[in-house]
Amino acid sequence: MNINIPIAIARDEWRYWARSKLALFSCLIAGLLIVASLVSTVARIESERVTREGFQEQARETFESQPARHPHRMVHYGHYVFRVPAPLSLIDPGVDAHTGTVMFLEGHRQNSAVFSPRYASAQAGPYAELSPAFAYQVLLPLLLIVLGFAAIPREREARTDYLLYAAAVTPTQVWLGKSLALAGAACAGLAPLVIGLVIALSAGESLLIAAYMLAGYALYLFAWVFLVTAVSAWCTRASTALALLLACWTLLCVITPPVAATAAQTLAPMGGKIATDLAVVRALRDTGDGHNANDPAFAKLRAQLLEQYGVDDVADLPVNFRGMVAQWSEAKQTEIMNVFADEKMASEAAQSEVVRWLSLLSPALAFENFSKITAGTDLSQHHAFLRDAERVRFDFVQKLNNIHAEKLPFADDMQRGSSPEAERRTRMSAANWRMLEEVTTQPQTALVRISASLPQLLIALLWCVVTACIGFLRMNRRLQDAV
Amino acid sequence: MLSDLGRELRFAWREPVVRWTTLIAFGFTVFALTAGLLEVRNQEREIAGLAAATVEDQKLVLDGQPDPGSAAYYTFHLTYDPPSALAFAALGSRDELSWKHRLRMLAVEGQIYETDTDNSELSLIGQLDFAYLVSILLPLLVIGLLFDLEARERRESRYELVCATSAHGRGIFLVRALARCLILAAAIALPFLGFALYGGVSIGDSLLVLALASGHILFWLLVCRLVTVRNLEGATAALILLSLWFLLSVVVPVVGKTGVERMVAVPDGGHILLTQREKVNDAWDLPKSATMDPFLKTYPELTDYAEIKRQFEWKWYYAFQEMGDQTAAPLSTDLYEGMRARDGAMGWVALLSPPLMTHRVLTQMAQTDVDRHLRYVQCARDFHARLRHFFYPMLFGPKPFSKENMSELPQFEPCIDRES
Repeated sequence: MNINIPIAIARDEWRYWARSKLALFSCLIAGLLIVASLVSTVARIESERVTREGFQEQARETFESQPARHPHRMVHYGHYVFRVPAPLSLIDPGVDAHTGTVMFLEGHRQNSAVFSPRYASAQAGPYAELSPAFAYQVLLPLLLIVLGFAAIPREREARTDYLLYAAAVTPTQVWLGKSLALAGAACAGLAPLVIGLVIALSAGESLLIAAYMLAGYALYLFAWVFLVTAVSAWCTRASTALALLLACWTLLCVITPPVAATAAQTLAPMGGKIATDLAVVRALRDTGDGHNANDPAFAKLRAQLLEQYGVDDVADLPVNFRGMVAQWSEAKQTEIMNVFADEKMASEAAQSEVVRWLSLLSPALAFENFSKITAGTDLSQHHAFLRDAERVRFDFVQKLNNIHAEKLPFADDMQRGSSPEAERRTRMSAANWRMLEEVTTQPQTALVRISASLPQLLIALLWCVVTACIGFLRMNRRLQDAV
Repeated sequence: MLSDLGRELRFAWREPVVRWTTLIAFGFTVFALTAGLLEVRNQEREIAGLAAATVEDQKLVLDGQPDPGSAAYYTFHLTYDPPSALAFAALGSRDELSWKHRLRMLAVEGQIYETDTDNSELSLIGQLDFAYLVSILLPLLVIGLLFDLEARERRESRYELVCATSAHGRGIFLVRALARCLILAAAIALPFLGFALYGGVSIGDSLLVLALASGHILFWLLVCRLVTVRNLEGATAALILLSLWFLLSVVVPVVGKTGVERMVAVPDGGHILLTQREKVNDAWDLPKSATMDPFLKTYPELTDYAEIKRQFEWKWYYAFQEMGDQTAAPLSTDLYEGMRARDGAMGWVALLSPPLMTHRVLTQMAQTDVDRHLRYVQCARDFHARLRHFFYPMLFGPKPFSKENMSELPQFEPCIDRES
C-alpha cells in the first residue's frame, strides 16, 4: 500500500482544522487546560513535598534531641513519619490527596495515617481536582471527538469521497489517513506530559517508567482515535456520529468509573479500622500487658529466662526483666497486629481488584488505573508506606526495649517510683536516641509497577485493536454498500 | 398549551434517543439509589456491631481494674455519627471525614484526628450516588436530549413548517424541550420517591430533593435553549453546551477551590500533631506544679485533693493530658474555623456553578457534609469532656472508686438524631 496517500489525507485533514475556527478554538482551550493542570499540580505537589519533608526533619530532630530519660518513656513519646509524594505525582497525584500524610508511631499500637490533604480542603464536589492525568483521561478524548467526529461523514455528505475512490484511493487509506491525522493531534497533546515527565526524571524517576508512562498515555489516546474514526466510519451523518461519540464518552468517562467504584464497595464490603482494632484487642487479650511484668501471661518467659541464666529470682538476672517483658510482648503484639493489618490491606486490595476487572468496560477506567499504578500513587503504594512505617515503628520501639533490657538495672527500675536517685539512674543518656530508621519514600521499583499496570495497558490495547478493526471493516463494508 | 404538551410527550416518547436516555437515567438512578441504600445499611450495621463490641470490651476491661486511673486508661469508648435518613441519596464526604472514633481519657487532640476512612482508591474515583447523578450526569443527559432539537428540523427543512403549524410558533420548541425534560425528570423522580418512602425520608425532604433536581434540569434546559435558538448547527451547539458543562462542573469548582484555599489558610496537620505531643510530653520533665497550678485554675473544686506526693500519680497524669489539650486547643480551633470558613466560601463559589450548588445542597440536606462532620467532632469532644468530669472526682478522691459508681460510666449517645 502506498503510505504517501494516508499521509496526504492526514495533511489535508490538518489543513482543514487550521481553517476551522471550532477546531482551533477547541485545541487552544484544551491545550491551556492541560498546561494549567500541569503547572498547578507541579506547584501543589512541590509545596506538599517541601512541607512534609520539613516536618519529617523536624520530627526526627525533636526525637533525637530529647533529654535523658527512661527508654520506655521514649516508646510512648513516639515518632512521626510523613509520607512524601512520589516524583510522578505531578502527573497523577492518585490517592495522595485521599490518604493520610502523617502517622504517629508508638509502642503497642498501630495508628492510622491522618490528615489527608482532602481533610481540611475546600469541598468542591465530585470533580475537585484537575490533574494532568484527569485532563488526559477526560478532556483529551473530548478534543479528539471534536476534531474527528466529522472526518469521514463530512466527505460523504459533500460527496467528496467518490472523488477519492475514483482516484484509486482505497477506503482503508482514507480511514488510515483520518486516523493518522487524529493520532497526530493526540501526539501533539502529549507535549505537556513530556514536560511533566522530564521534571519527574530530574526528581529521580527512572527513564524506563517515564517512557512506559508516555507509551501508555499515547496508547489510551490512540484507543480514542480509533474509536472516533470507527464511529465516524459507521455513521452516514456527522451529527449522528457526534451524538454517538458523546454518548460513548459519557458512558466511558463519566459513568463507568464511579459505577465500578460503587460496585466494588457493594460487592466487596470492608470493615473499618475500629473493627480491626477491636478484633486486635480481642486477640491480644491473652498476650498480657507489657507494662506489668507480673502479668501471668509472662510466667513462661520468666521460667525460661531463669533457667537460661541459672538463677532463682528475676532480680538476679543479668538483664532487666521488665525490659525483656516489654521486648517480648511488643514482638508478640506486633505479630498479631500485623496479621490484622494485612487482612485489612488485603480486603482493600480486593476492592481495588474489582475495579481493575471492571476496567474491561472502559478504557478510561483502565487508563486511570494504569496511570496511578505507573506513577506509584495507587493503593498498593500507600500500603507499602504503611508497611514501611510499621517497620520503622517496630524497629525503634524494640531498640528502646533493648536498651531497657540491657543497659538499665532492674533494681533501679523497680525503685524509680519511690526513690528519686534510682529514678535518675533509669534515665538513659540522650545519645541513645539517635536510632531512627528512615521511611523510604521511593515508589516501588519500575519493574514492579510495570508488571502491576501491564494488564491495564493491555486493556487499552485491546480497545485500540477492537475499535481499529471495527473502523477498518466498517469502512470497507460502506464502500461495498455504496457500490 | 397542556394538550400541546401531551402531544409532544407522545411524540418524544416515540424517539429512540429519548427512550434510550430515559432508560439510562432510570437504570443508573435505581443503581445509585440501591448502592447508596446498601452502603447506609452497611454503615448502620457497622455502628451496631462496634457499639456491641465496645460494650463487651468495656465489661472485660473494667473487671478487675485496681484504681480509677487504670480504669480510665484501659477503657475505650465508641463515638459515632449515624447516617441521616437521606444519606443514601448523597453519600457525601463520609468516606473521607471520619464519623467514628475509639476514644479514651488521654489527650483528645492525640486521638480525634485518627481516621477510619474507606478505600482511598474508591474515594479517588468517586461513588455513583444520587447526588453525582443529579449534579454531573443529569446535565449531560439534558444536553443529549436538547442540543439537536431545532437543528434537526432545519436540516430536514421542516423548521418553518413546524413553526407555522403550531399555535405557539417558534415556542413549540420550548414545549418540545419541556416534554423531553419532563420524561427525563420522571425517570429520576419515580425511583427516588420509591426509595425515599422506603428509607423513611420525610415527604417534605423528598419533595425538596425533587425540586432541586428539577431546578437543575430547568437550568440546563434554559442554557440549551439560549444556545440552540441561535440558528447553530447541531454539532456546534453540542460542543458549546459541552464546554459549558465542563466549565461549570470542573473548571469553576477547581478554580474556586484553589482560590478559597489560598484565601483561607488552615494550620497544617503535622504542626498540630507535633505541637500537641510536645506539650503533653513536656509535662513529664517539668515540676508537678507546672501542671497542677493551671489545672486547678480550671478545676478549683479539686484544690484540696490535688497534692502530688509520688513520682507518678494518675491524677497528675490525666491533669497534664488535659493541659496538653488546652495548649493545643487554639490550633485545633483554627483548623475547624478554617474548615468552616472554607466551606462557607465554597457556598459562594457554588453560586457560579449550578452543578456544584446542586451537589452541595444535596449533601447538606443528607447531612454528609463538612458542617455535619464538624458537629460530630464537637459531639465526640463533648463526650470526652463528660468522661473526664466523670473520672476526676474518683481520681482526686472525693468520690470512691466502686462498682456502683463505675456503673454510671458515661455511655456515648449521638448528638444528632437520625430524623433531624
